[in-house]
Amino acid sequence: MLTTAGVSVDLIFEYRDQLLSGTWVTIQLALISLTISVMFGLLGAWAKLSKNFLAQKTAAGYTTIVRGVPDLVLILLVFYGGQELFNSLGTATGLWDYVEISQFAAGAGTIGIVFGGYMTETFRGAIIAIPKGQIEAAVACGMNRLTIFRRVIWPQMVRYALPGFSNNWLVQIKSTALVSVIGLQDVVYNGFVAGRSTRQLFTFMFAVLMIYLVLTAISDLVLRWLDRKYSKGIVRSDNG
Amino acid sequence: MKLKKLATTLGAFALMFGLAGNSLAADLRVGVEGAYPPFSWKESDGTLKGFDIEIAEAVCAELKRKCVLVEQDWDGMIPALLARKFDTIIASMSITEERKKRVDFSDKYYNTPAKFVAKKGSGLEISKSGLKGKRIGLQRGTTHQCFMEKMYPDTELVLYGTQDEVFQDLAIGRIDAQFSDSIAADDGFLKTDAGKDFEFTGGDQHDEVCHGPGAGMTVRKGDTALRDELNAAIKAIRANGVYQKINAKYFEFDIFGG
Repeated sequence: MLTTAGVSVDLIFEYRDQLLSGTWVTIQLALISLTISVMFGLLGAWAKLSKNFLAQKTAAGYTTIVRGVPDLVLILLVFYGGQELFNSLGTATGLWDYVEISQFAAGAGTIGIVFGGYMTETFRGAIIAIPKGQIEAAVACGMNRLTIFRRVIWPQMVRYALPGFSNNWLVQIKSTALVSVIGLQDVVYNGFVAGRSTRQLFTFMFAVLMIYLVLTAISDLVLRWLDRKYSKGIVRSDNG
Repeated sequence: MKLKKLATTLGAFALMFGLAGNSLAADLRVGVEGAYPPFSWKESDGTLKGFDIEIAEAVCAELKRKCVLVEQDWDGMIPALLARKFDTIIASMSITEERKKRVDFSDKYYNTPAKFVAKKGSGLEISKSGLKGKRIGLQRGTTHQCFMEKMYPDTELVLYGTQDEVFQDLAIGRIDAQFSDSIAADDGFLKTDAGKDFEFTGGDQHDEVCHGPGAGMTVRKGDTALRDELNAAIKAIRANGVYQKINAKYFEFDIFGG
C-alpha cells in the first residue's frame, strides 16, 4: 500500500466514487445556495435603500437575525424543528401523515438565506458607491428606471461588489460542510464515513481538504475573470 | 370558510409533494449509522455492511416488510427519529433510562460488556484513586459517559463525536486510556495495526442504571405496535438460527448476552 505521512493514496482511490459523488453534492449545494443568496442579497439591498418604511425594517430585521445566529443552529432548526412542525401541522389538519423536508432543500435554503444577509450588505455598499450625479444624468437623458439599472447601476455595482462578493462566496462554499450534520451526503460526510469505515480518518480528511482547495482555486479563477471583465475601461490607481 | 380555504391550499401543497402516507406503511425505514465497525460501516461502493445492518435486514425479512436503510449521523439519530425521518433505529443504541424519557425501545438484541483500553504495561489501575486526574477518552452521549461520570467523577473525561476519533487520540497519546464497548474496541482498534501496543485493562465494567440491559431497537414513544413487532422478530430470528448465523460472521462468541 502506497503510504505517505499516514495518507493512503490507494484507499482514496478505492473510495473515489464516494468522494466524487460527495463533491458533486457539495458543488450543487454551493451553486444553488449562491443563487438563492444573490436573489436575497439583491432584494435585501433594494429594500434597505428603498424609501418604503416596511421594506427597510424587514430587511434590517433579516440581516440582523441571519448574520447574528450561527448557521449550524439555523440548519438544525429548519431540518429537525421544521420537520416536526410540518408533521404536527399535517396531523392537526388531518391532511397528510408525513411529508419529508428534503435534506438538500433544507441545507441549500438555509445557507442561501444566511449568506443572502451578507450579500445584502455587500450589494448595498456597492450601490451607494455609485456617484448620484450619474443617476441624475441618466434621468436627464430620459432613461427609464430599468434602463438606468441595466446601463448605469448594474455594471458598476458588480465591479464595486466583487471583492466583498468573492469573500462571501469562498466562505459560503466552505459553509456547505455544515449540512453533513443533517446527514446530507456531501464531500465532508462521505469523507468522514469512509474514514471511519476504514479507520483511516486522517487519509480522508486530507482528501477532503484537497478537494476544497481545488474548488476554491477554480472559483478564484472565475472571480478574477469577472473582475477583469467588469473593470474594462477603468484605470486603477494601485497598478493592480 | 376561511379554514376550509386553508385546508384546500394545504391539501394541494401536500399533493404537490406527492403525499406518501400509505406507501410508507409497507416499508420499514430504519435509521443506521454506517460509521461504527464492525456493527456498521460503508464499503467503497457505498453499500452498508455490518452486524446491525444484517440484523436490520433479518428483522425486515421476518416482518415481511421492505427495509429502507437511512444513513444518519449519530448526533442527530434521535431527533431524526422524532421528526419521523425513519421509523426505528437499529444502530447499537443502548437501552437507558435517560433515553427512555424521549423514546421507546424493543427488547435488547445484543449485550456486550464495556472495557477500558490502555497502553500495554501502563499499570493503569481501574479504581477511584487509580483513575483520579487521568484523561479517559470516550464517545459523547453514550452509556459509557454516564458510567464514567457516575463511578469516577474525579477522572478527566475527553469526549469525542465518534468512536474512531477516540482510538485516534489514544494511539497518538493524547489520552491515558479509553472506555467503550469491548467489541468495538477489539475489532475497531486492538486488532488493527494502530492498536498493537494496547490492551484491555481492568475487566468487564457494568452499571445497571447507566449501561442498562443492552442495545435495543429504538421507536418513537407510543409506537407500541412497531415495538411489539420488533420484539417478536428478535425472538423469531433467535429461535430460527438466523441471528446465530449473522453473529458467527462477525464474532467468536454469542453477543446476545445472558
